[in-house]
Amino acid sequence: MKLLIKGGHVVDPANGIDQIADIVIDGQKIIGVDLGLSDQTISGGAEIFDATGLVVCPGLIDMHVHLREPGLEAKEEIRTGSEAAAAGGFTAVACMPNTKPIVDNSIMVSGILERARREAAVHIHVIGALTKEQAGKELAEIGDMVQNGAVALSDDGHFVEDARVFQTGLSYASMFDIPVISHAEEESLAGEGCMHEGLVSTILGVKGRPAVAEEIAVARDILLAEYAKARLHIAHVSAAGAVELIRQAKRRGVKVTAEATPHHLSLTDEAVYGFNTATKVNPPLRSADHVRSLIDGLKDGTIDAIACDHAPHAPEEKDVEYRIAANGFTGLETSLGVILTALYHSKELTLNQIVQLMSVSPAAILGVTGGSLAPGATADITVFDPDKEWIVDSKHFYSKGKSTPFDGKTLKGKAVATVVAGQFVMKNGEVL
Amino acid sequence: MMNAGATPKTNHLLGLRETDVSRITDILDTAREMKNIINRDIKKLPTLRGRAIVTLFFEPSTRTRTSFELAGKYLGADVVNITAAASSVVKGESLRDTLLTVEAMGVDAIVMRHSAEGAAHFASQLVKPVIINAGDGAHEHPTQGLLDLFTIRERKQNLSGLKVAILGDILHSRVARSNIWGLQKFGAEVHVAGPTTLMPVDIEKMGVIVHHRVEDAITDADVINVLRIQKERQEKGLFPTAREYARIFGVNAKRLALAKPDAMIMHPGPMNRGLEISHDVAYSNQSSIQEQVQNGVAIRMATLFLTLTGGKTLETIN
Repeated sequence: MKLLIKGGHVVDPANGIDQIADIVIDGQKIIGVDLGLSDQTISGGAEIFDATGLVVCPGLIDMHVHLREPGLEAKEEIRTGSEAAAAGGFTAVACMPNTKPIVDNSIMVSGILERARREAAVHIHVIGALTKEQAGKELAEIGDMVQNGAVALSDDGHFVEDARVFQTGLSYASMFDIPVISHAEEESLAGEGCMHEGLVSTILGVKGRPAVAEEIAVARDILLAEYAKARLHIAHVSAAGAVELIRQAKRRGVKVTAEATPHHLSLTDEAVYGFNTATKVNPPLRSADHVRSLIDGLKDGTIDAIACDHAPHAPEEKDVEYRIAANGFTGLETSLGVILTALYHSKELTLNQIVQLMSVSPAAILGVTGGSLAPGATADITVFDPDKEWIVDSKHFYSKGKSTPFDGKTLKGKAVATVVAGQFVMKNGEVL
Repeated sequence: MMNAGATPKTNHLLGLRETDVSRITDILDTAREMKNIINRDIKKLPTLRGRAIVTLFFEPSTRTRTSFELAGKYLGADVVNITAAASSVVKGESLRDTLLTVEAMGVDAIVMRHSAEGAAHFASQLVKPVIINAGDGAHEHPTQGLLDLFTIRERKQNLSGLKVAILGDILHSRVARSNIWGLQKFGAEVHVAGPTTLMPVDIEKMGVIVHHRVEDAITDADVINVLRIQKERQEKGLFPTAREYARIFGVNAKRLALAKPDAMIMHPGPMNRGLEISHDVAYSNQSSIQEQVQNGVAIRMATLFLTLTGGKTLETIN
C-alpha cells in the first residue's frame, strides 16, 4: 500500500529540505520526497493525504517520558501513553525506568518492549536504570539491558549522589556507546523544596529548590563525564547556570548533551500563585531570567533537544495540598502546541530548529532510527498545523494523566496526523 | 512567557496580599464596633444566629482557635471545633474528603489552619462555604495581620509613615508576610531583621528594608513586632544556639532604647521569654501584647460578620 502526503511544507533538517514537497511512502519506507509528485506517477496508485497548508516533518521523538507500566497502571499504561504520544504528534518515545519494579534488568527491558510491540501506537524505546533499584549504590546489569534493547541509562527522579558510583556507571556505559541521563539536582540543597526558590516562593512561604542545587550537580556530572570520557545527557535543564556550564563543557569537547521541557521554556514560577498543583514539577518552574537562558541555550545549540518529561499521575495524587502533591504532569499532548506557541509564533525559533530539537537530535542522542525523511528511511512522519488555535482540555486527553498547567489555555499549533512505519496512527486528532 | 494559575476573587479571606485596602478598612472599622461588644456584660448578639461555623485546625493553636470560637459565639453563630488529632485525619482521610464532609453538614464558614501553604486556597476552590485562612504554613495568617494593624492604629491613629520593625524568623513566619502586605498597603515603612539563615531570598523585592543587625531595624522605630523563634527550627541548624540568638538578636531594654520613646512592642505569641524578647520588655508599658489578644477577638468577629453577611446587617449590631 502506498501513501502520498501531498503539497505539505516539508521540514527535514537532516536532508536540508524546507519547502513545499510531496512524500511517497511504500509499505513501511519512504521512497521519495519531491516536488510535483502525483498519484498518477506512482505505479499502483496511492492513498493521498492532502497536506496543503500543513508542515510535514520526520516523526517527533520524545526522549523523556514516563509510561508507568508495569506497576503504576493507575497513572498510565504503555497503551494509553503511546496513544497520547500519537495524539501529540510523536512517532517514538523513550520511557524512563522508574516503574514498579524498576527497570534495572534485561527481563524488564524485554517485557516492556514486548508489551509495546503488541499494544503501543508508536515506537517505544526503553531507558534502563543506571543502578540497581535506582538506589545509587550498585550498577544495574547495563550490558545485558543494552543487548536486550535499552537505549540509554538513567536513575531519573534521583540524583546519583555517590560520585564514585556515577563515574563508574559513566565509564561502564561508555563501552556500549549509550548516554547516561542525569537527573541533576543536589538533594541536600533542594531537600523539601516544592518550587523554585525566589521571590514567589518567599511570598507564598513555600520552601524553595534553589537553582544552585541543579547547577552544582550539573558541574559535578560534567567533570565526571569528562574524566570518564563518557556520554552524558542532562535531563530537563531548568537553571541558567546549568546552561552556561553545559555551554562551556561543549566548547572544550566534553560529550555532553541536554534537553529542556516545554513547561520550563514557557512558564515561570509565577504560575504557582494560586497553588495550582498542576504547576508542581521537579525541577521546578523557574523565574523569567532562567527561562530566557534556556531559550538562548536552544538557539545556540547548547541545549540539544526538547523533551516533555510526560509524568502522568492519578487524580488523588494531585488533588491535594500543594506541599504533598506529586511532582510532574502529563505533557505529550501539549508539547508541540506549547513549543509552537511559545517559541515559533514568538519568533524565537524556526520550524527547522524545532524539528531539529524534537526529532533529529533525540534520535541522534539515543542512537535510534528517525529524524530523517530520506528515501529508504522508515516512514515515521508528523504532520502538523502550525497555526491551528485550540484550547487545551485535559478531559479529552488520551493519557490517563489529566493534570497540566496548560489546561484551559489557548495554544497555536497542533499535530494533525501521525504516521508510524507507513501507517496512520493518528489522523485529524483522532488516534486510530 | 505564558501564564498559568490565578487567584480567584471571592468572599473568602485567604491572605492580605490579595485583599484590597477598602476591604481591610471595612474589617478594621467594623472591629472597632465589635470591640465594644466584647466589653459589655452581655456579649451575645443575634447577628449570625442560624449560621454554622467550623474551626478546622490541623495544627495546635490556643489563641487563634479560641478567639474565632468566641467571636462566632458572641455573634450568635453555632461554632464547632474540629482538631486534627480528634478527626478522621488520623485515620488517613485526605484534606479533600474532610472538607467535603464538613461542607455536606451544611456549614456556612470554615476557619482553617493547616501546615501546608495554600491549604486555604485549596479549600476555597473545592467547597462552597466561606473559607477563612487561620494560618497556612509559612504563607499567611491574615487575621493576625489584621489584628496587628488594628492594634497599631489604635495606639498610633495612623499607619502611614510609621517605621515598623519585624524581627526574627521571617523565613518561617506567616505572620510576617501578612503584616508586610497589610502595613505596606497603608503606607508604613517595613523593616525586617534577623539572621541571614532566617531571611527568605529576594524578600527585599517585597518592598521591605532588610537588616541583619537588629539595632539598625529598631533605631527610631515606631513599632517593633517580635516574632516567635520556633524552637523546633534550631534542630535544622539555622542558627547555632538559643543563647547566641538571644545575645545577638533578642529584644531587650537596651536595644529598645534605640527606638522612639513611645515605640510599641508587639508579639503574636506564644512568647519565648528570654530568647527573642526579654521579660521586662514583654511586660513593659510599651508592650501591646495583651491588647493584641483582645483585639484578635474583635477582628475575628468583624471578619466572620463581614464574610458571612457582606455587612448588610450592620445595624443589628447596635
